[in-house]
Amino acid sequence: MSGDSFSLNLPLSRLGSDSCEATTLYQELRKPLLRYLAGLGLSADEAQDIVQESFLSLHKHLAERASLRADPKTRPSKTGLDGGPDSQQNIRSWLFRVAHNRARNHQQSYSQRMREPLDRAFDAASNAATPEEAALERERFRRMDKAVRTLAVQERECLMLRAEGLRYREIGEVLGIPTSTVADVVDRAIKKLAEKCNV
Amino acid sequence: MCEYSKRLIAWMDGELAENEAAEVEQHVRACPACGKCVSACEKICREFAAYYAAYTQTRPVARRQKIFGWAPIAASVAIVAAMLLIAFMTRSAQRVPIIEQAAAIPSTVERSPIAAAVPASPPAAEDHYPPYRQQKAIRVGQARRTTKPESTNSQWAMIEPAIQIAIPAEAMFPPGAVPEGVSYIANVSLGPDGLVQGIRLQP
Repeated sequence: MSGDSFSLNLPLSRLGSDSCEATTLYQELRKPLLRYLAGLGLSADEAQDIVQESFLSLHKHLAERASLRADPKTRPSKTGLDGGPDSQQNIRSWLFRVAHNRARNHQQSYSQRMREPLDRAFDAASNAATPEEAALERERFRRMDKAVRTLAVQERECLMLRAEGLRYREIGEVLGIPTSTVADVVDRAIKKLAEKCNV
Repeated sequence: MCEYSKRLIAWMDGELAENEAAEVEQHVRACPACGKCVSACEKICREFAAYYAAYTQTRPVARRQKIFGWAPIAASVAIVAAMLLIAFMTRSAQRVPIIEQAAAIPSTVERSPIAAAVPASPPAAEDHYPPYRQQKAIRVGQARRTTKPESTNSQWAMIEPAIQIAIPAEAMFPPGAVPEGVSYIANVSLGPDGLVQGIRLQP
């Protein structure tokens, strides 16, 4: 799981503002973020832009927090950077939430992507050794694709964030829903997929 | 349905508290239905992970590429629209100069050396004409618009003469070629570009 490194599970309030940490974060989280945004249906260009914007937002937050610390007379802002409600939110879920919110501006891409046939994509991604295996794999992908398209948007988002290794609490932070709701949604989505795929 | 079935996936994901997880684990070992459900869920999770990896690995169609896909059609439409607009504007621009030119010529003629000797409006009495008619009489008619101004270009070219100019015979023919006392009226036809297309002389 890519997000289990020590720095990613730190609360945002404990993250330093030095460039070394930022570089590590970028290396660790860039690909999962890009994958998630691609899963939402964004193009590679759009996903790249959003990831960069998200890291830029993080940098601004850290710089703002550093300036607040330097000036003790200034009261902490309401953004939860230091002691606020979001201060215990970890870096990974914070970045996913920012990226997720920005991706909502590209809903058109999402619906566009969901209309596209994915056969060619699955052919390219197939690792099957023999033609028979490839045909079986393609059939599995097609069946899963059909089943995934029947899921609600929130169910799909929960499953994708779960596949990226986020915990239920983090998924809840990204999507703005309670952890118990995430558990219900994930349970429901997986059972729906199992039913549709006759597993 | 088993009371534990709602918590199986949370248990698989390690989301339950320690004591609750131990309880569910114990139940799954004892309950064949829940054991089967866990196997099915594990399988579907693996399949979804493979699907998700394939889905996100492939490069989605870029929106910018989509826009470029429409660009040739949009450009063609824009070019055709621009050409139509230019044609329309040119046609409008051609109409105006004829009217304006027709209206402007009288004042120009009046300022010319020939016109300086001529009254701006035709004299009321026939007696005033003879000297001018024989030598340098110019009669400037008023510009007239055709009764159907919003017609085609050809109709604009074929309208009745907007200006009548009487030119002294001496100015057009060699001395002695035309008997004295004869004057001509030139009917000048203007083309859509404002240039003279033809002149017809009437004695």
